[in-house]
Amino acid sequence: MPVLQVKNIEKHFGPTRVLEDISFDLEQGQALAIIGSSGSGKTTLLRCLNFLETPDRGQIVVNGETLFDAADPATQREAEVRRKRLHFGLVFQSFNLFPQYTALQNVMLAKQLLAQEQPGYKARKKELHAAIEAEARQLLGRMGLAGRANHYPHQLSGGQQQRVAIARALALHPDILCFDEPTSALDPELTGEVLKVIRALAEQKTTMMIVTHEMAFARDVADQVIFMDGGVIVEQGPARQLIERPRQERTKQFLARYAQER
Amino acid sequence: MLLTVTLTLLEGLGTTLKLFALTLLFALPLGLVIALGAMSRIAPLRWLVSTVVWVVRGTPLMIQILILFYGPGLLFDLPLLPRFGAALLSFVINYACYFSEIYRGGIQSIPRGQYEAGEVLGMTRSQIFFKVTLLQVVKRIVPPMGNEFITLVKDTALVRVISVYEIIWMGESYIKKGMIWPLFYTAVFYLAVNGVLTLLFRQAEKKLDYFR
Amino acid sequence: MRKWKKAVSLLLTGAMALSFAACGGTASSASGAASASGAAGSSEAESAADSAAASENVASSADSDLAYVQDKGTLVVGMTDFAPMDYRDENGEWIGFDADMAKAFAEYLGVEVEFLEINWDNKLMELDAKGVDAIWNGMTITDEVTSGASVSEPYCNNGQVVVLPADKAADYQDVDSLSGLNFAVENGSAGAEQLDALGIAYVAKTTQADALMEVASGASDACVIDLLMAGAMIGEGTSYPDLTYTVQLNSEEYGVGFRKGSDLVDAFNTFWQEAYDDGTVMEVAAAYGVQESVIEK
Repeated sequence: MPVLQVKNIEKHFGPTRVLEDISFDLEQGQALAIIGSSGSGKTTLLRCLNFLETPDRGQIVVNGETLFDAADPATQREAEVRRKRLHFGLVFQSFNLFPQYTALQNVMLAKQLLAQEQPGYKARKKELHAAIEAEARQLLGRMGLAGRANHYPHQLSGGQQQRVAIARALALHPDILCFDEPTSALDPELTGEVLKVIRALAEQKTTMMIVTHEMAFARDVADQVIFMDGGVIVEQGPARQLIERPRQERTKQFLARYAQER
Repeated sequence: MLLTVTLTLLEGLGTTLKLFALTLLFALPLGLVIALGAMSRIAPLRWLVSTVVWVVRGTPLMIQILILFYGPGLLFDLPLLPRFGAALLSFVINYACYFSEIYRGGIQSIPRGQYEAGEVLGMTRSQIFFKVTLLQVVKRIVPPMGNEFITLVKDTALVRVISVYEIIWMGESYIKKGMIWPLFYTAVFYLAVNGVLTLLFRQAEKKLDYFR
Repeated sequence: MRKWKKAVSLLLTGAMALSFAACGGTASSASGAASASGAAGSSEAESAADSAAASENVASSADSDLAYVQDKGTLVVGMTDFAPMDYRDENGEWIGFDADMAKAFAEYLGVEVEFLEINWDNKLMELDAKGVDAIWNGMTITDEVTSGASVSEPYCNNGQVVVLPADKAADYQDVDSLSGLNFAVENGSAGAEQLDALGIAYVAKTTQADALMEVASGASDACVIDLLMAGAMIGEGTSYPDLTYTVQLNSEEYGVGFRKGSDLVDAFNTFWQEAYDDGTVMEVAAAYGVQESVIEK
């Protein structure tokens, strides 16, 4: 059974239809890249999965559980949305680190708040805190930031900030980790260090969805690629095949235009 | 003479500072309530609050003091509020409206991404407010609040129109005895109070300087 | 309104009964007199009889200002620091010709007196809104005052005089010479009315003392203030030794202001006549050196 099943998602902003009949599956341990020009709806799709937007139609199923069904208001209750969100992690284009916390505190914060809601938290406070901190440090280490744990975001480069953001998302152990154009806000010389981290995550079989403009990266790292245009899925297939031998005319045009601009 | 005048002025300064402190005590939280009303999703509430803020900020504080004190007796033949109480009430309302605009500006200047980052990390609304945005808002409102505090200290002089004996009233009382300098001397006290405030605010800004 | 007043007077009567009970037996007869007459305001046993006498004429009306004052038990006198009419002695007690007479009037009414320094610009608003019960502070009877308040019969003579530096005084000895001067004067005062009548422009100040300060500092050439005040505050041996006064612009009179239509005016006029007849007025006036200004009754 796939980890994620997206069924017939549709989304309007006023009269504008931004997503139309979007359906796909994502298997455990796979990396899915979503490509397309800006305005094609790929970011909106990611935001729908993370409950930052509410689809007008369709269902989102994770591990067989229907997290969202536009036809069933019971699946949209505020209190439950909070819990359901934790199936997904989201890394933003603009990092959105909390400026008043250090890298380490950024990674630990959400986990600590969740721990506080556990019964018996008070008695085990120290022990829980130590465990959360140890894991956060280990995550930062994996991101190559062991020496930056006590830096504040403004003391870090864009690439470092984005890696902290990735560690922050990983700390909650999401089933699916989503990236929204993770390198678009970075200077070209800083994209490499972030892509390297994502590549390592793919090698460790982290289930991921990556909205990206980096075609070579999508081809090399993703298992599957979806090409979106005008709010619909135009073509979907194995990464290498779709990018090197696209079948649809629109995909070919997009990739050709993209290659030219390079 | 200097000692007598200083003691008299200090007595007035006591009233000035009492008004200052009590105004802050009530207006700071009330301002937040007004700010939340002005940002409410309920449109009629938003309009009501915006209208009140517009009226209060758009009319002179002195007129508000006169209306609040004399109004009940003149218009409705009701007993008057105590003079200090009426002065305090008008200051609390007036400054809460100013504070609300500062709060609103501070809250709305926080990027959407901060809220969204909190949301996707599974935080509740109140966790996002207290753990993520609050300190950032505080950092942004400290400089304009410093301005308001200093203005407030000086605005307290207005209450002498309803015969609340603050420091300038005390200073002016000497004019009748042919002494002009006590009135000018009051400026020294304002300067001292605002000096302390300036230092405190500089300290606060420095404390919040560790992040951007 | 009626109900509210009744409630307050009930409350006060209750409080009074308690306080009399605390005082013991001597006060019991006075207490009986006060309640028999229906006046509920007196807190001083000795003056309860006076109080009953004064209120008999008017206390029947629900809108009686006198009854209102007696109900609450205090006469609030709005004034300013204005020697020799109202000023503080070394203990901080209010004294002066007006202050002492106000104490006597309150005693006559059977109530406590409370002096309240007010912003004189707002005197009519203070009266109307019941912030004070009387404005009594060497107040010249002007059109402004008579249109906004009911004023007693005049009790003192006064005039408006031009004050200027002594070294310039020789050049400005008559009304015609004044037009070249820059004037400061208390806003809405009798002096301002005189300058208006002469068509002379001026800077309006909050108090006469402020106007005087304008001249002392050189900001204005001259000011117009009360003769009574000029006599007490300028010239040798005072705070403004270099100033003097020259032209007297008019003659006028002092009165006490009460709320429009108030029965306190009649009560005051009766009180003053009695106090004049028994010599109290002149005795107090002499103590403050204003006996020559007091109007004969």
